[in-house]
Amino acid sequence: MSATTVETPDTSPAAPTPEMGGFIRRLNAVTGVVLGLVLAVVAWQVSSRLLPQPEELSHNHHDDAVMIITFSVWAIGFLIGIGAFVGPVRWLLGRDLTEADEEFLAGKDQGVARYFRFTTDHKVVGIQYLVLTMVLFGVGGLLAMLIRTNLIRPGSPFLNPTEYNAIVGLHGIIMIIATIVMVTGPFGNFIVPIMIGARDMAFPRLNALSFWLLFSAVPVLLAAFPLGGIATGWSAYAPLSDQSPLGMDAFLVTIVIFAVSSGVAGANMTTTVVRMRARGMSWTRTPIFVFGTTTSVALGLVAFPMFMVAMILLAMDRGLGATFYVASGGGSPWLYANLFWLMGHPEVYVILLPAFAALLEITPVFTRKPLFSFTAAVVGIAGIVGLSLFVWAHHMYVAGWAPALNGPFMVTTEMISVPTGLLILVLLGTLWRGVVWTRLPVLAVYFVLWNFIIGGVTGIYLSDVPVDQAEHGSMFVTAHFHYTLMGGALTATMGAVAFWFPKMTARMLDERVGKIGFWTAQIGFNITFLGMFAVGLAGQPRRVADPSSTFAAGNLVSSLGAYVIGIGMLIFLYAIVHSWRNGEPAPGNPWGGKTLEWQVPTPVPLENFAVPPVVTSDFYSYGEPPETPAPESVSVPRPADAAAPGERPLEGSAS
Amino acid sequence: MSLTEARPADAEPPGEPSTSRPAWRRAPIFPILLIWIVLTALLVAFALVVPARLMGAAASPTMREIETTFTSFSLAAAPVAALVWAILLYSLVAWRYRGGGRPTDPGPPVRGNNRVQVVWVVVSTALCLFLLIWGLIVIQPSTSEASSTQAPLVVDVTGQQWVWNFEYPAAPGAQSDELYLPVNQRVLFRVTSKDVVHSFWITQMGVKVDANPGATTTISVTPDRLGTFDIRCAELCGLYHSYMQTHVHVVRAEEFRSWLATAASQAPTGEVPSPSPSGTATS
Amino acid sequence: MRVSVGAAATVLAGVVAVGIAGTAFARSSASPPLLKATVNGTAQTPQGTLPHAFLQLDTWPDSLAGPHGKDGGPHPDWVSYGPSTNLAVPAHSLVTVTIRQYDTGEEITNPFFAAVHGTVDGTMTVDGATVRSADPEHIGHTFTVHGLASNKDPLFVSVPLPAVADDAPVRADGYPAPHVVTFSFVTGGPADYVWQCEFPCGDGTYAKFGGPMSEQTYMSGTLTVTAQA
Repeated sequence: MSATTVETPDTSPAAPTPEMGGFIRRLNAVTGVVLGLVLAVVAWQVSSRLLPQPEELSHNHHDDAVMIITFSVWAIGFLIGIGAFVGPVRWLLGRDLTEADEEFLAGKDQGVARYFRFTTDHKVVGIQYLVLTMVLFGVGGLLAMLIRTNLIRPGSPFLNPTEYNAIVGLHGIIMIIATIVMVTGPFGNFIVPIMIGARDMAFPRLNALSFWLLFSAVPVLLAAFPLGGIATGWSAYAPLSDQSPLGMDAFLVTIVIFAVSSGVAGANMTTTVVRMRARGMSWTRTPIFVFGTTTSVALGLVAFPMFMVAMILLAMDRGLGATFYVASGGGSPWLYANLFWLMGHPEVYVILLPAFAALLEITPVFTRKPLFSFTAAVVGIAGIVGLSLFVWAHHMYVAGWAPALNGPFMVTTEMISVPTGLLILVLLGTLWRGVVWTRLPVLAVYFVLWNFIIGGVTGIYLSDVPVDQAEHGSMFVTAHFHYTLMGGALTATMGAVAFWFPKMTARMLDERVGKIGFWTAQIGFNITFLGMFAVGLAGQPRRVADPSSTFAAGNLVSSLGAYVIGIGMLIFLYAIVHSWRNGEPAPGNPWGGKTLEWQVPTPVPLENFAVPPVVTSDFYSYGEPPETPAPESVSVPRPADAAAPGERPLEGSAS
Repeated sequence: MSLTEARPADAEPPGEPSTSRPAWRRAPIFPILLIWIVLTALLVAFALVVPARLMGAAASPTMREIETTFTSFSLAAAPVAALVWAILLYSLVAWRYRGGGRPTDPGPPVRGNNRVQVVWVVVSTALCLFLLIWGLIVIQPSTSEASSTQAPLVVDVTGQQWVWNFEYPAAPGAQSDELYLPVNQRVLFRVTSKDVVHSFWITQMGVKVDANPGATTTISVTPDRLGTFDIRCAELCGLYHSYMQTHVHVVRAEEFRSWLATAASQAPTGEVPSPSPSGTATS
Repeated sequence: MRVSVGAAATVLAGVVAVGIAGTAFARSSASPPLLKATVNGTAQTPQGTLPHAFLQLDTWPDSLAGPHGKDGGPHPDWVSYGPSTNLAVPAHSLVTVTIRQYDTGEEITNPFFAAVHGTVDGTMTVDGATVRSADPEHIGHTFTVHGLASNKDPLFVSVPLPAVADDAPVRADGYPAPHVVTFSFVTGGPADYVWQCEFPCGDGTYAKFGGPMSEQTYMSGTLTVTAQA
């Protein structure tokens, strides 16, 4: 019934359904963990015995290969154990899933248990992503507190440099993964299908697969701690990564899993949006948030394979003694740097686009105005996507790789400020003379614009080759990208959480507590990273465990500010947890939004729409005269009148 | 400023007398203009004083150029940032919905304004072009470097986890752990690494280039201030990355010559000194 | 009311979590016992008459004799310095260090570190003979002190430690007879420095700077110049 991947007109009459279903009904995250661990231990034992034993110099390759195999087998075992491959296997056996099985997989009538299973319902996957993202932010934030504590005064670090480097690297990669999925994961999965009038994603099983792949990567990443950590920072520059302890193997397996996960998710979401929009939802009527998430995951489809390839080459260097990145063996560190930044720069827009698009979606609702120039917003997003593929080498101005290319990359990099400026214009234009209803979601718009202007302007300095020659590799860079990724994207995501919280949890967010946390975090944020700009300009390099006492004052300010962020974020977290459990029940459309997700009941029924909606105008017609067919021209039959005939199924509505 | 002239004429709130005052004298343009001017002035003052002061006194024309660029970019960005923040501030105060519950009346249904959009794009493109042209001119190796006719002093810089060392091909054998340079003479650094990627950074001279294993990168600078400055590694290179630091001493030419002669004369001869390395396992 | 208690409890839980994690990390990165130089009399130096401090170190081909306990700790096969890597010497003093070098070696990658730098007269003695450098083809380890660039009296001392021959006879304690390297340097004011080995003697990972080279307490450590002479 739900839009399943493999549409089989019920075959295999031989299969007695209840019994066949019985096996998959017993699989869940626990069986996944058990099978994963068992297989990993077996793989570890077998590979460490069977792999050729070390000559004196190569014994690291042996250990590295064992680690890589063990972690990979864990992930595969976990996925088998949770039932990720039940569908394909049954199909190969000629006993495809029955409708009852599909409904079970979609989590029908299972309560909380469905969050711990290989559940295909996009709303379950969205919630799973939301919780996992918050957990990742918790771990990454804790590491950030340790980093700042270590830097609070010079000369007496409480961590030794090995541990400090490991913590910096883990903080980096955990936060990067969390920010990459923080919008497209929870909201892209939960909200976007409803927003476009679909009953589920195009490939529900791939949807579940993308989440559980990511889930299986988390313990691998955390295993880097006892294995010596990621001593290279999250950028894992070669050949330092060739030299690092076994934690690096955990890192590279994590990245490969993550790249597969984001590839699966990206293909799924792109297909969903292109093929499954409701009837009448032409591209010009498609909500801007859908543009943001889709371009983000599509950009990810280009970007993350680069990182995966870089990591596979690293795995071959470490595990097999290849020399892709080893100059004395004919390799080059610049190969790694190029592959990494070919991912790295599109990646920041993978993070920023959906976050900005969420703001573009929020602002009209809370100013009761149409989006100021939908076209400009789309052009802005398209411009960013296009240019972002051609700016990567601005991270390598001082690498010595190709000095002649510095000019051209400076041109593309600075040009990207024009489409970005368009998005800011659209936000400002929408605020202009609006009825600004200052709830938490719209506060995020204000803070993002404040932070992002700082992040953007400092980005322009860094895009300039001579200035970069002074600031590259300094804390100035660290402060800059925290202003864009945390002050911009994460702040926007906090707004998005507040905005869609009632729809996703069926509870209202306690905004009193939430706002206290939000304001505290924002103030702490600005203290922390303005201080960091100062020490960066004064010449403190990034990632130093024990900065010179010259920078003591700025580092103290940054550390104190970081504690304020921590307190604010915890209060915000409490607002979420508390409201999720005890909050007021939310009505279907608390904000008076016009997009489709606000037209379905809360909690959202399993198949979202009893009858597929038909779209006759766009969703921003606030305050427009009714003759331009506006608000309720979106015909969304409530489930009550589910009997309403006439509307076609979803396929074919897009074109 | 582009936004300020661009209001939909038909969106005039009712009740406000449509007087003869020009549009820019009325709300919301006028108050936003005021906030904008004040914010711009504050940001300009900030841009003129703070960053250059934080970066410290420049010790080379390169660094001076960088500080000038930084300040100019800040000045160019100040009005833009001020405009955005002015609109934000004003809207938060003046357009804030003060009733309880959900607003019932919608805002003016403005869907874009071609004039505003065109002005915005043109202005931002112009600013972008200004930055680009500035940047492209500055990266030309013209000004101080190419004009000097004398051959540069060559220094070989080697990064090894986690120490820099320097060799001076002009005086064979001369090597040091702290860098010595003569003032007002162009220096060409040939930078390489024995192991991982480091980044050779003379903070006060605005010199930075990566030290790559298996490759030699070059960068040149003309130190023009006497004194002692900082050399740091700017690329995470492992355990003691934060201690991979040393000093550069910029001294007068004659002092440099005598230092170089001494350094060369103290060079280890290269021949194996007394205890033969193997076979001395007696004690 | 209930809400503010909850929020406060959440913040408190966060503080506790950070505290636990921080304590765990700090404990696992505890320094080995401080090895203080012993002051004995005064010495004539180019800087005048200064207190004379003595420090004795060893370099071992494994970790069984160093600060890692009898069983060698987690990596008994890693090369190590001993008896500790956490050193303290008095300020404004002449420090004479004696290192007994028990390890074999090979060619050093960077000849700079085959020469003696930063000691009194730029020399060291190896088994009694005064030299300015060691044979770059046969280096076992180096002892190289360096530190932060700002607000410090710069201190850079680097001496090569010649390798023991591969075929040197092994004594009763399981090690060959060592080379004894002695050198002296003059300290400035109180400050923190680090020291490390610059001969790539780590395990087989890239550039042989992994393993013991990249973890404190093996081939690297700290050198604190303390105020009281």
